[in-house]
Amino acid sequence: MIDVIKEDLVLDCSGMLCPMPVVKTSKAMKDLQSGQILKMIATDPGAPPDMEAWSRQTGNELLRSMTEDGKFIFFLKKK
Amino acid sequence: MLWKTDDPDTKKILYVQTHGEKDPERTATPFFLATAGAAMDNEVCIYFTMNGPQCVAKGNGDKIIVPKKGGGGKELKYFIDQALDIGVRLLVCQPSLDLHGYTMDDMIEGVEMIGGAAFNDMAVHADAVISF
Repeated sequence: MIDVIKEDLVLDCSGMLCPMPVVKTSKAMKDLQSGQILKMIATDPGAPPDMEAWSRQTGNELLRSMTEDGKFIFFLKKK
Repeated sequence: MLWKTDDPDTKKILYVQTHGEKDPERTATPFFLATAGAAMDNEVCIYFTMNGPQCVAKGNGDKIIVPKKGGGGKELKYFIDQALDIGVRLLVCQPSLDLHGYTMDDMIEGVEMIGGAAFNDMAVHADAVISF
């Protein structure tokens, strides 16, 4: 049983290619308060390693990364 | 010191672009890698030398088409605007402007002039220098 994560903001980057998902995520995170959660959806196959790196570098925690219906879904917590 | 950050946690990345109009397929990558770098909260600059200043000369953003196999390339301007929008700084040096008969008036808005000493100073203080 996986805990349900409740996001504060959804960002759909479907169809966007590198570096747009990272850029949009960075901008969206700036609108959130510390502790709030962003759900980001992407179809770019480079997104999983990119979001891991982005999270590591920026310190915004990647709570969960999953694949659903061919889309990559990320839950990121603002530091 | 040309780097602006004094936060030790902010990494500094310096890209060097030496290619211009003759190599359109080599013009976009430094911009989009720099864009991704800036989106990761790094301080990022691109230094344009040799033919690089052609990438940031007025009018060339629309003229240089980044090719794509099968057609449907994209104007370089798209990648330049993306980088500028997220705070990537664009730097040129005087000798490489002279090489093409450019002055700063020929450069797009936002381009800054530095010299060879300043470039080397930035390089030794950068966390990474990546050259194209």
